[in-house]
Amino acid sequence: MTQLAYYPGCSLHSSSELYDVQCKMVFQNLGIELREIDDWNCCGATAAAKTDDFLAVALPARNLGLAAATGLSEIVIPCSSCYSRTLVSQKALAADPALKDSINAELARKITGDIKVSSILEVLVPKARSGELAAKAVKKLEGLKPACYYGCLLTRFPIDVDVPDDVENPQGMETVLKSLGAAPVDWGYKTDCCGASASVNDADQSQLLMSRIFTDAVARGANCIVTTCPLCQFNVDAYQAEVGKKFGIEKQLPVYFITELIGISMGLDPVAMQVDRHFIDAMGLVKELNLI
Amino acid sequence: MPSSLVNYDAAASKPLLDEVQKRSGQNLQACYQCRRCAAGCPVGEETGVTPDRLIRMIVLGDREEALNNLLVWKCVACYTCGTRCPNNIQTARITETLKQMAKKAHAKPLTPRIADFHSAFMTSTRHLGRFNEIEALTIYETKTAFKELSQGKVKAVIDEMIGQARLALDMMKKKRLHLGVDRVKARSEVKALYEKAKGR
Repeated sequence: MTQLAYYPGCSLHSSSELYDVQCKMVFQNLGIELREIDDWNCCGATAAAKTDDFLAVALPARNLGLAAATGLSEIVIPCSSCYSRTLVSQKALAADPALKDSINAELARKITGDIKVSSILEVLVPKARSGELAAKAVKKLEGLKPACYYGCLLTRFPIDVDVPDDVENPQGMETVLKSLGAAPVDWGYKTDCCGASASVNDADQSQLLMSRIFTDAVARGANCIVTTCPLCQFNVDAYQAEVGKKFGIEKQLPVYFITELIGISMGLDPVAMQVDRHFIDAMGLVKELNLI
Repeated sequence: MPSSLVNYDAAASKPLLDEVQKRSGQNLQACYQCRRCAAGCPVGEETGVTPDRLIRMIVLGDREEALNNLLVWKCVACYTCGTRCPNNIQTARITETLKQMAKKAHAKPLTPRIADFHSAFMTSTRHLGRFNEIEALTIYETKTAFKELSQGKVKAVIDEMIGQARLALDMMKKKRLHLGVDRVKARSEVKALYEKAKGR
């Protein structure tokens, strides 16, 4: 069994625990063991970037030190925000040895800097391309018309990063889901912002942003939204009913993590994957399509 | 005074430009006002200030306006402006920088809720080493409620509380509310990083 270092981040240990559970189940089925790095801390997310340039680099840096201590060559980070902040920190440390030394001085586990930081799609897409995902599938995702929603942080970075997908029109999720028989819709808001924490501190703004996403997904004939980011998932799931009411969008779409759909294609138990823990019912559609 | 070419003074404008460029690592002088950033900015319509305007204010040395406009605070850090900029200027880094400069200068944030949320996030993270949704939200909501009550915004506070209670209830029903407290064992290490940040 292959081992990958794994950073779940705070969301996957609290409101999006289901994503943590599903990631482990799906990867296990693919012959990959996720080794959670020991005693990890919060990456600082957007709050650190907005309030303190040093902490924005230093907090993920501690996790990079813990990851290096595993001796593994790759770490997978399913949350887009954690992934982005960790990758940005790694690049910033490589560009500034003095900063790296200054942070290392505080750490028991030192940053070495060469571990590959991967998003969940960087692991899954090659497995879709090689046919490995399809080979594990016991069911085709027929009838599923997802609007693949990437949000901001999978393709856009505050520094120069080689993005392993098209920046404006990424295809990673489509590649995965097409290989499993789903028919993703072509739509215009896949990399638009849902507002993330603005849903708490600037609700009018984030609801306006989300209304554009829902309106387009519905207009393009999608029957669900799919994402890899727990912050996006929470926002577009928990606030969808309220936004729909405010902006007159009648249809509501379940918002799946990509791991839920892969898991369903593999025949994994949806309740064990906690697919019943959505704000907008996510069990109904997959039942209706005879996928479970 | 609003920034304008009419009263532009190259020497007087330099300190602000230099400070923002140094802190953000962005070359603002490369901006030729093509406004591709403005076209992509998801909050530009509501803030009235788009990334190109913000860069202009800084180049013209208007510190007052640069630190006190809605884009600095409402920017959602989606990084669309920087991705589309032909000259590779990441304006979201500039809004991050200006927020930090405003804080250092003890300037009142235009949108206290946004500033208080990020501050509550960092307080909770310093305390436990991990972000605790309940702790951070409690710090944020308490601070916001006191501030707004002292300004007589009673309805805003009640609406906020009803909204948050509804969400918490909904989360509880869907088993999305995490009541356990996760903490880092080596919290002293995380705190040392926070201390180092303060000294910089």
